[in-house]
Amino acid sequence: MTRDDAAPFAPPFAMTGGHVRRDGREVLAGVDLRVGAGDVVAILGPNGAGKSTLVKALLGLVPLAAGRTEIYGDTPARFRDWKRIGYVPQRLPMGGGVPATVREVVASGRVARRSRWRPASAADRAAVDDALAAVGLADRARDTAHLLSGGQQQRVLIARALAGEPDAFVLDEPTAGVDAGSQEALAATLGTLTGAGRTVVLVAHELGPMAPLVTRTVELAHGRVVRDTEPLRRSA
Amino acid sequence: MIEMLQYDFMRVALVMAVLIGLTAPAVGTFLVQRRLSLLGDGVGHIALTGIGLGLLTGTSPVLAALAVSVLGAIAIEVLRARSRSGGDVALALIFYGGLAGGVILTNREGGGASLQSYLFGSITSVTPSDLYVVAGLAVVVLGVIAVFGRELFLLCQDEEVARAAGLPVRFLSILIAVTAAATVVIAMRAIGLLLVSALMIVPVAAAQQVTRGFKGTMLLAMGVGVLSAVTGLAGSFEYDLPPGPSIVLLALAVFAVAVAGGTVVRRRRARTGEAREVIPDRAGPGREAEAEVLRG
Repeated sequence: MTRDDAAPFAPPFAMTGGHVRRDGREVLAGVDLRVGAGDVVAILGPNGAGKSTLVKALLGLVPLAAGRTEIYGDTPARFRDWKRIGYVPQRLPMGGGVPATVREVVASGRVARRSRWRPASAADRAAVDDALAAVGLADRARDTAHLLSGGQQQRVLIARALAGEPDAFVLDEPTAGVDAGSQEALAATLGTLTGAGRTVVLVAHELGPMAPLVTRTVELAHGRVVRDTEPLRRSA
Repeated sequence: MIEMLQYDFMRVALVMAVLIGLTAPAVGTFLVQRRLSLLGDGVGHIALTGIGLGLLTGTSPVLAALAVSVLGAIAIEVLRARSRSGGDVALALIFYGGLAGGVILTNREGGGASLQSYLFGSITSVTPSDLYVVAGLAVVVLGVIAVFGRELFLLCQDEEVARAAGLPVRFLSILIAVTAAATVVIAMRAIGLLLVSALMIVPVAAAQQVTRGFKGTMLLAMGVGVLSAVTGLAGSFEYDLPPGPSIVLLALAVFAVAVAGGTVVRRRRARTGEAREVIPDRAGPGREAEAEVLRG
């Protein structure tokens, strides 16, 4: 993997004094968070604590009212190497209801790596196949993504991020609306991400079967970090 | 049926019908997914001011409509992106301004009849030079979709994911609005500005009843578009009906058939799906999840 940017050792995510205001309310009230390469960080906290806002702010999807955040050493506005980032949103939006197959959704995760002017290469197709296999949905590739169960949809979204072969994953509540049985399958999928030494930031209500994968937990309340466990050494 | 091919204007009209049938639903697929089904309608209203300007200045009404509706589409997109809540009022103001401006301008020209032909379509008045403009636009529109289709797909699926993938979201949003504007101009001579957006939306609504994927929906919608445009035109010649409304009513008839067909297809698919694995009856995460996102 070539890393020829100016700050080769810059951490995947670094926020200092991050404030986000919405409708006059402080959703994030001064967050400092540095995520090192290979960390598996779980952002925990009650509803309304600012968990989703925090990860969106880390990606520059929500503007900061004050403070600074960097992705691999660049502010989100200046960051260009987006193929290193895999964002998994909370859900697959319905939009206007035009169906999309599982494979179409997953293949769209390659967009940061593909040339606009060339058709899909063998490497593109192989990456999509691998991503589908990694989440155990290879046999559903031709089905409509929106008609799958919540847990399966979540795995489709993870596969979309996987297809882009990023270095860092950001997952917004991957277990929201997923029943207990599917949570095990989801945790196994996440295990393949962390096992490959990738950086993972995930938002969760409770860790459940994901607990053994996590090396660090950051607890939010009222837009502030109230607890940040020491990064643990990852076992195996 | 064959006799209509003896007329020059019908040959021109048929070529136009095919071009419209291909381009309008192709663009419409993205608009539907992006919940911008009425964008074409709005651009149609604005285009009328362009027609008025074209008639008044003695330049080509088609090119003037193109210029004005492209500017209007950019204005709509900028307003949409800027204001989350007040956006629809701003859009309404633009639509009505465009319609009223067009009527005033064409009226000054004393062109009540020509106004009528732009509002509801008058394919018999199409000249070969109009056809060249329309064909050029159709090539551009289909080319944009071929080149930017993958990025537009992700944008229409989830704008935040598109941004986190580093896509030029603002440029792509404007690109799709401008492409829609070009499509309105392509279709206006045959279908008329008031019905133009029907052919962008109705074939897509019909296709998505029976398809599983995005590309499949787009291709089937294009098929439905060509079928309704060509048969609608032939029917209007045969029975002396206005072509635009004939085309749109045919597309709506296809939609009705597709709804019935889709119910059957889905029931059968559900049955084969159950044999493989139990699929919980779930049409996607609900509003609660969305509320949670908003709360942070």
